Amino acid sequence: MNDRQTPRDAWPSPELDTLTLGMLPLNDAAPLVVARERGFFAEQGLDVTLSVESSWAGIRDAMQLALLDGAQTLPLMPLASTLGLDGRRTPMLSALTLSLGGNAITVSNALYDDMLAADPDAMAASPTSARALATVVRQRRETGAPPLRFASVYPFSSHRYLLRYWLAEGGVDPDRDLELRVVPPPLVAQQLEAGWLDGYCVGEPWNTLAARRERGRVLIGSHAIWQNGQEKVFAVREEWAQAYPATHRAVLRALLKACAWLEAPAHRGEAARLMCERGYLDVAPSVVEDSMLAEGASLTHGMSVFHRHAANFPWRSHLLWYAGQMRRWQHLDVDDAVLDECLSRCVRPDLFREAADDLGINYPLVDAKSEGEHGGAWVMEGRHGPLDMGGDRLLGGARFAPSLHS
Amino acid sequence: MTVKVLIVDARPERSRALEQALHEAGFDVVTRVDEHDDLYAIMTREVPDAVIIDAALPSRDTLEHMGQLGRRFPKPMIMLAEEETPELTREATSVGVSAYVVEDVQPALVRSMVNVAIASFESHRALKGELTRTQTTLAQRRTVERAKSRLMQAHALTEDDAYQWLRKRAMNRRLTIFEVAQAVLATDDSES
Repeated sequence: MNDRQTPRDAWPSPELDTLTLGMLPLNDAAPLVVARERGFFAEQGLDVTLSVESSWAGIRDAMQLALLDGAQTLPLMPLASTLGLDGRRTPMLSALTLSLGGNAITVSNALYDDMLAADPDAMAASPTSARALATVVRQRRETGAPPLRFASVYPFSSHRYLLRYWLAEGGVDPDRDLELRVVPPPLVAQQLEAGWLDGYCVGEPWNTLAARRERGRVLIGSHAIWQNGQEKVFAVREEWAQAYPATHRAVLRALLKACAWLEAPAHRGEAARLMCERGYLDVAPSVVEDSMLAEGASLTHGMSVFHRHAANFPWRSHLLWYAGQMRRWQHLDVDDAVLDECLSRCVRPDLFREAADDLGINYPLVDAKSEGEHGGAWVMEGRHGPLDMGGDRLLGGARFAPSLHS
Repeated sequence: MTVKVLIVDARPERSRALEQALHEAGFDVVTRVDEHDDLYAIMTREVPDAVIIDAALPSRDTLEHMGQLGRRFPKPMIMLAEEETPELTREATSVGVSAYVVEDVQPALVRSMVNVAIASFESHRALKGELTRTQTTLAQRRTVERAKSRLMQAHALTEDDAYQWLRKRAMNRRLTIFEVAQAVLATDDSES
């Protein structure tokens, strides 16, 4: 591959050769599907079965019961599982980020019309502000109408905190002004149409699907809320990582190569095909293609970043940002020392660097970075020279400077 | 106390049998719904002590959220009686049963209820020969592969052409690849 790469025969050989990894039927499970179907796992001597689960709760159960060796998870799952907030207290860690961005907020056609009538200026702003929603909320309260209902996908989800961030930025208090629910992505479009929901924040292909069927209007993509924000991670149990370090490292190498492969726009069509044809995503292929092939350069609402801008590096600061959002809404009640200890257990850049060294892939030398400082491309010093980083703008221009003590 | 149970299952035949079995074991089934019902409204109205839900339904995540809302809503089984139930939870997971229970139900009653559900799901599966999600994925893949080879042979197409044919038809008819593949295989050779 390149001359920085460790010779293959110096790689430790995996303790296990047969693995089962969990995933949900979502576009951003593509790295696992590609690693399985394009032979990147096989190349590492791994025979991997992908278990398609139906819910995040299902992934959590299977991970905590040791029915899976590893899984695609939400970025907060290792933290929530380690702290015992989600299911049975089970230390979990992630040494690789699978994707950045890829979610969007969609509202019903009726709410869209109300927002347009209430505040056309806010609706014309780019990105779309929740200010118009704040006005609709006020009008509804005055007329005694019931609170609007918005959904995300799981209690400990990126979607929940991105939605709350957008709402708060526009002056909507998510706890006082709205009824917030959890509705699984395959059901949101139908519930929007049935009038049980007025809006939601989910990942692809489910926004594209609703827009296609003209059931809702996509208002804002996650990159406009947190540009290149962390979205899915690859997680394993801490105990598993300690018992099978070489296997873990081999899985990380395979996923890194799959993510790099997915970065080429020409490969995304093939990835969409693998997802549909091999039965991982039971949705019309055109919907998957549309949301996978969204313009490579611009970060449109459905766009997942799989590799560039050091996307796969597990930033401690990414998880700290989410933990900060949990605290903001009183969803996390632990002191700094506990959180710090947890962050150093749950996010393992050291393990990522071992796998990246095996492949000669460049990576950051620090474990944390600020967010909200860069509106566009910038350069960071990496192990093998400069790294091309992407923007990290936060909606409203906020800045996040992580303070990590470990 | 009689434990009030809500059943969430998309298969009416199986959930009827489960209701019967739970009733015989002394549980009170408040209602049976599938996931296209409004779970928030039902949970708030019925206030069940426990929910048995088909683990294959994505709506489990809605119950997770309600479990986080406060004491009155049932919590996922994996959070309860940590030391007592890991084996039972594992067994339930492997047959596709998920249970949610409020904290004050006696552990023995939880075990009994989950055992009834496991037995009920297992006998239904044995009867119907139903597939797990992973088996379904594999079966779908085989169907698509068979449809492609049928097309390749009948029309002298390459594999890629056969896929593009399925894809185009899926797009035009708003179907999934699997549904089109099923339709191809259901057609007689003479027609295809």
